[in-house]
Amino acid sequence: MLIRSIRAEYRKLRRSYIWLALLIMPVMSAGFGTFNYLNNLGMLTQQWYSLWTQHALFYCTLFAPALTGVYCAYLCRLEHLNHNWNTVMTQPIPIPTIVLAKLTVVSGLTALTQLFIGALFLLSGKLAGLTAPIPTALPLWLLRGWWSLTTEAALLLFLALAIRSFAIPVGAGILGGFCGIAALVKGFGIYFPFSLLPLSMCSHNPSDSMECSTAAFVISSTGFFLFGYLLCVLWKKHRDTQAG
Amino acid sequence: MIALQMEFYKCKRRWLWLPPLLMLAAQMLWGLWSYIDMDARALSQGWADILYSFPLLNAMMTPVVAAVLASRIADIEHKGQTLKLLQTVQSAGSVFDAKFLCAGAYMTVFVALQLATIVIFGVLRGFAGTPPWSRLLEYTVGTLLTTLTILLFQLVLSLLLSNQMIGMIAGLIGALLGLFSLFFPPSFQRFFIWAYYAVLYNTVMDWNETTRIVTYRFTGFAWDGVIGILLFFAAIYIIGRRLFIKKEV
Repeated sequence: MLIRSIRAEYRKLRRSYIWLALLIMPVMSAGFGTFNYLNNLGMLTQQWYSLWTQHALFYCTLFAPALTGVYCAYLCRLEHLNHNWNTVMTQPIPIPTIVLAKLTVVSGLTALTQLFIGALFLLSGKLAGLTAPIPTALPLWLLRGWWSLTTEAALLLFLALAIRSFAIPVGAGILGGFCGIAALVKGFGIYFPFSLLPLSMCSHNPSDSMECSTAAFVISSTGFFLFGYLLCVLWKKHRDTQAG
Repeated sequence: MIALQMEFYKCKRRWLWLPPLLMLAAQMLWGLWSYIDMDARALSQGWADILYSFPLLNAMMTPVVAAVLASRIADIEHKGQTLKLLQTVQSAGSVFDAKFLCAGAYMTVFVALQLATIVIFGVLRGFAGTPPWSRLLEYTVGTLLTTLTILLFQLVLSLLLSNQMIGMIAGLIGALLGLFSLFFPPSFQRFFIWAYYAVLYNTVMDWNETTRIVTYRFTGFAWDGVIGILLFFAAIYIIGRRLFIKKEV
């Protein structure tokens, strides 16, 4: 059932131009990051690690949360249009499965984004003429970032389900991204879902380890993920469907 | 007039004022936070300083908020497929105008509130001298014109394309262009509507590399930039309105 639901969600993405967002946003983010790096070579001397701080700064604050918001909003948009929620809710599919299918697809899209961002990072590093060896922690940053984004997606998906507006999840993602940086700087990174992304991608101090233990990260992110997921499921179960 | 009234009816209980208000709150927290610790020298250039930092915050935030606002005002018709219905009772042009005026009203109120915040904060904080009204007026003209032009552009996108993703991405790209336009060469800046926050600066920051002291001071206001943004506004209005009227609904 789950697999068929996921397949249905993927089908909804066809001809949606969502690939446009997936292509443009990371390219812009990487472009600006590299531009900033090249302009501040005097201060940024740690080659790949310095480049990563510039890339991750824009990506974690603005692009990644906004892009996740776009994915979530798009996956609910078709249902919000043309009374389609009535159709979806009357299918013999359990609500947790519907929500999980949507989350899986968003998570898949964020995984693609993360891979793309990784590739762009390597490419822009080479173009900038970096000679040092590529950081071995890169796959780890990307993997942890993917899980943080999935956590964000669970929360943003709730907004996309509850409020019939395309713009709200995107705006909320951006707001969350900015607040996340602030919370991280103040040292509350682990307690705020939108701080987990810069925290896990080590956007401030690129090294192998995070500012917190892996266990704390996993517990916090999984907790927020489950919270968002349950919120989605409970909302859909108990709220009367308003289709229009 | 009735068309405009209808637009405000449609906005009822949709909390459209929330995104601009959140932006204002974020700007106040972010922008004004840096003015808590000020010595006599900083206070003496306070007005120039604050008028330097707010356009920067605007350039970063307003394109996204404009995209959200425009999308919500336009998307209501796509969702209900009501454009067809609307155009049996009023002309497409009047729908377009009413929507812009409605969204523009929200943004104008936002700019006014922002100005009030700046003035009240400056006076309370004890910036040197009386508020430089002519400078504040220039700032308001620049901010309002740029914001409304960006809003108009977003509204055209959101009305013409039922896929609201495009508008949102345009808003995000605009926010980045706005931020990075500060580094563009001046002649290049004028090709982007988002860069007009930078074009219409009436302050400059002098950064002395040896002493590491930053000085803010007022400079001339680029009135030709006002003409530039007005031309952009007129072009987007004429083209966007025509495309919307010709659009098959």
